[in-house]
Amino acid sequence: MALLETRGLTKLFGGLSAVDRLHLRVEQGDIMGLIGPNGSGKTTALNLITGFLKPTEGSVTYEGQDVTGLEPHELARNGLVRTFQITTLFENLTVRDNILHGSHLANPTTLTGALVRSGRYRRQRAEMQARARELLGLVGLEQRIDSVARDLSAGEHRYLEIAIALAANPRMVLLDEPATGLNPEEAAYLMDLIRTLSRQGVTILLVEHNMRLITNICTRITVLNFGAKIAEGTPEEIVDDEAVIAAYLGRRRGA
Amino acid sequence: MRLRNRPGLWFGTPVLAVAATAPLFLFTNAYNRGLLVLIVIYAVAGLSLDYIMGEMGQFSFGHAAFWGFGAYVSAKLALDLGISPWIGFLAAPVAAGLVGLLVGYIALRRTRGLELAIVTLGFGVLAWTVALRWRPVTGGPAGLRQVPPPSLFGWEIRSELAYYYFALLLLLGVVFILTRLRESRFGRAVRSIHENEDLARSIGVAATRTYVFAFSFACALVGFSGALYAHHFRFVNPNLLGLQYMFIFLIVVLLGGTGTVWGPVLGAAIFVLVSEWLRALQEYRFLIFGFVLLMVVLFMPNGVFPALRRVARRATDGGRSGGDGAGRRAHPGSGGSQAG
Repeated sequence: MALLETRGLTKLFGGLSAVDRLHLRVEQGDIMGLIGPNGSGKTTALNLITGFLKPTEGSVTYEGQDVTGLEPHELARNGLVRTFQITTLFENLTVRDNILHGSHLANPTTLTGALVRSGRYRRQRAEMQARARELLGLVGLEQRIDSVARDLSAGEHRYLEIAIALAANPRMVLLDEPATGLNPEEAAYLMDLIRTLSRQGVTILLVEHNMRLITNICTRITVLNFGAKIAEGTPEEIVDDEAVIAAYLGRRRGA
Repeated sequence: MRLRNRPGLWFGTPVLAVAATAPLFLFTNAYNRGLLVLIVIYAVAGLSLDYIMGEMGQFSFGHAAFWGFGAYVSAKLALDLGISPWIGFLAAPVAAGLVGLLVGYIALRRTRGLELAIVTLGFGVLAWTVALRWRPVTGGPAGLRQVPPPSLFGWEIRSELAYYYFALLLLLGVVFILTRLRESRFGRAVRSIHENEDLARSIGVAATRTYVFAFSFACALVGFSGALYAHHFRFVNPNLLGLQYMFIFLIVVLLGGTGTVWGPVLGAAIFVLVSEWLRALQEYRFLIFGFVLLMVVLFMPNGVFPALRRVARRATDGGRSGGDGAGRRAHPGSGGSQAG
């Protein structure tokens, strides 16, 4: 059984289909790449899956449950967490507070505990601090723990974003063009990071339009053009696919 | 330096010392002590409005309606049913919180920012009009008089001094709760929505529900302040729900500084004392206030309290490390990360 599956997922914006009858299957443990030229509907598809947009038609199934139309926070509670195309952090908070505020789902403290600062609350808070340091260590930001998020470099922004997503203890992470704005070195580091997550058992859906990057780390790839799926397979199959080459070289479909 | 890690203390301790001893000097007669009570009442109201402005990053133009409502609830309970003001002090925030829950549920499901400000303005004007017209219940424009003061073991707290210490104690409780609430799971959720609502939702925060509860909490707090007002000044009228008080609370928050616990307290003190000194000018004092507010917004855009804090930090830093960069560092839970 697929961990995540969409059936006939469609989104119309004023008669124009941004996503057109998309069938997508992501198995547990996959690093699934979702690629396509600009405007091919990748981000819309991701917004539909994560509840930020409601589909016109079709369904989303996650862990065997129909989750179509659920709110983003409800999906996050089921372990489905996303990042955003434009880096999205709590810009005015420190790196540490970004993780602590991002740990909403992993925060076991109670209101009374926080008000009276019970021993249990302080223990839980210490555990959360330790967990925050651990997550920041994983993404290589432990030196920046007291910096304000907006002072981070483009690469560090992305790493922190991923650490925030991980703070929710996700089973699956959807990354929306995480390599955008990164230099080759940072992008390589990011890809390593994604591999590390995958090894830790997190299933990944990676939206990207840089083909070279994605063929490096994905186990399977789905290619979109004009909102519809034009190819699906292993990276080797995809790079040789006629329709994909046509879409990327800008030739007319079917020509 | 330890003080820098406990941002409330360096300001809170001297303020507390001044507040506790103020009735012994300067504020030695009943009239002046009444001003102290008013400062405390406005401080609580300011803190509650700042919960919406500073913590939620939103705006409510109907906040005074909840204040007046709280005042009326406690006054009516005491006048019509003979219920003790002590119960009123609990009933007023509960009632205001419940109405806040309803208003917040309607408004926050659809609106944020400017639209929310307009929706709450509409609600505030509506509430004020109802209070003005519903004569049998509210007493119409004249309001209700002879609201009883609270009594302790059969002894009525009529003295300004006793009421002041009583209200001051409650204000400290409010400051304490607000400080602790910030670090709680709920407080962090509110802050995360303020910072970035999409991100907050994506990591599992039920944004609208959290904001509705936060709004309701602020309404409960201001309802409590209203009850304090009713039993001290011993009258209520529809103007308590109106825009005049709305602007007072707004001035209190903007003068003192949003997003800080001590800002509204300082703002309330400045507002009450300055308007007292300008009393001879009557309505024209708002002219001066308008000007003062303009100057504060232009030269201390974050309010008086954050400006003071910056000076204090520079001073403590200067003695320690030459003051390099540390002023820019955000302190978790201090609200210091507000500065842009």
